[in-house]
Amino acid sequence: MRRRSPVQKIIAAAILAVALFFFLFPVFWMVMTSFKTNDEFFSSPPVFIPKSFALTNYINAMPFPPNGRGGLQGLRDSLIISLATMAISVSVGSLAAYSFARYRTGGENLSFWVLSTRMFPPVAVALPLFLIFKQINLLDKHMSLIIANTIFNLPFVIWLMKGFFEDLPVELEEAALIDGCTPWGVFFKIALPLVTPGLVATALFSFIFAWNEFMFALLLTRSDVRTLTIIVPSLVGGHEILWGQVAAVGTIAIIPGVALALLLQRYLVRGLTLGAVKG
Amino acid sequence: MTELTGAHEPMAEPNPSTRRRRVRGVPIAFVLPAVLLLLAITVYPLLFTLRLTVVSLELTVSPKATFVGLQNFIDILFHDARFWNAMKNTAYLVVVGVGLQVILGTILALCLNQMGRARTLLVSLLLIPVMIAPVIAGFQFRMIFHDQYGPLNYIIQTLSAGRVHGYAWTADPKVALTAIMITDVWQWTPFMVLIILAGLQSVPVELYEAAEVDGASGWHMYWRITLPLLLPIIIIGILVRFMDTFKLFDIVYQLTGGGPGSTTETIAYYTYLRGFKFFSLGYTAAMAFIQLIIITIVAQIFLGYQKRQRQGVAP
Repeated sequence: MRRRSPVQKIIAAAILAVALFFFLFPVFWMVMTSFKTNDEFFSSPPVFIPKSFALTNYINAMPFPPNGRGGLQGLRDSLIISLATMAISVSVGSLAAYSFARYRTGGENLSFWVLSTRMFPPVAVALPLFLIFKQINLLDKHMSLIIANTIFNLPFVIWLMKGFFEDLPVELEEAALIDGCTPWGVFFKIALPLVTPGLVATALFSFIFAWNEFMFALLLTRSDVRTLTIIVPSLVGGHEILWGQVAAVGTIAIIPGVALALLLQRYLVRGLTLGAVKG
Repeated sequence: MTELTGAHEPMAEPNPSTRRRRVRGVPIAFVLPAVLLLLAITVYPLLFTLRLTVVSLELTVSPKATFVGLQNFIDILFHDARFWNAMKNTAYLVVVGVGLQVILGTILALCLNQMGRARTLLVSLLLIPVMIAPVIAGFQFRMIFHDQYGPLNYIIQTLSAGRVHGYAWTADPKVALTAIMITDVWQWTPFMVLIILAGLQSVPVELYEAAEVDGASGWHMYWRITLPLLLPIIIIGILVRFMDTFKLFDIVYQLTGGGPGSTTETIAYYTYLRGFKFFSLGYTAAMAFIQLIIITIVAQIFLGYQKRQRQGVAP
């Protein structure tokens, strides 16, 4: 593919333009819908660009029910759960990752076992998890989702961080050990600062996975805790769907993901394949 | 086990005995919290599920469990048409859906590879669907597929000059599963693009140069050099997507709710219904166990592949 004739380039650009339309249109449509009045939604032919970009739907959707659609509650709960999941899984995970990368603790088998837990079908774990949380009174609390998400994020964090630690030259840490630094010191003062970009990327991935999670949120919460991913489908159903307001909540829900797609591109290949492909 | 090692070569040991003393136990302490947490979701639920598979526990009828041996498995495999329907739907999404993702992903990656500086921005934009919650993706497509006011039917009507009316995408049993597949393809094709592009960029340029000297044509180079070198990455992509499709739940929940009837139920969705709507706990556990076995087999292939790659056997 080294010879690039202009014709080839034009065909490629045309295909990409069509693809870009296909992949961005649904997002565009939801954002536009979030500004539409009900009449504009229920119109044929459909309205592509609403007349006014007033924030009415957002203002109506955010307050707690019964006045609003609970957008703020969703934002609060999604933030609490995602931030806590991120903090715990990254701190527990990087320690384990460092140990796997530098000391080969447990050999290949232990680290591959960790990776294999990532592939567990959540629906197989959901039932026991539900019954356990019910017994210890954690249903409908932030903690249950933080635990569930952390456990499912850990293998991901460990494998990604393991790759980053393995990429570091070992000599610096070696020298520090010889100079009398403790292994904890080497980890915190040398290895961790050196992998900061990787650490940030891993943390953001872990945040977005918890933010986007739906099944556990559906099964482990009722009314006290309602994440954004719970609120959106709960509003689609029944007789009168306020599409504009649901789209407003949906638009808020996708902001972190869109931001990360644009920011994290360098790390996406690694992140999405658990380090199986190094981009 | 306590020597400090780099990615591939063990490092020199200037003073092993003193360092060993200082280091002993620390690596294990580092790993322990993570391993304990993971044990909590694998071993315990596994035993819990396994115990449930051999009982009949219908919470809607009575809270008492009765031992039934392998009856749950027999019922699922030989008497449950709905289970096989869900399996068939899942298989369709794997074969047609993931197949489409691979084909589209390869085409788009090859196109992107032709682009110069615009590539970075294009890739970022293409990746937006991957980072959106699947349940929100389902909501977006619910609007797109709206039979009266959705843009898709409008576009179909316009392009066909009013001759084709479009479909009730999420309510018509003929197309509802296709609607789910389109949503999944929308969300995950960019993932394929991304990894195949990474693979394309790691193909050494010298190979093409050598082939060019030997007089190979563009197509020839593509079939003989590019595709074979991409194959390992495509296989990783297919394995990852296979396992994901078995978990496909959010999009079904938001787009069709498994309906109309049970025409679009996937295996994960049917398991959810059995467990959390009908409360047949023993039956659900048995069904979860069957999925676990299938996923474990695929996961072992994936892991084996990756292990060999790390050892430098596979390309």
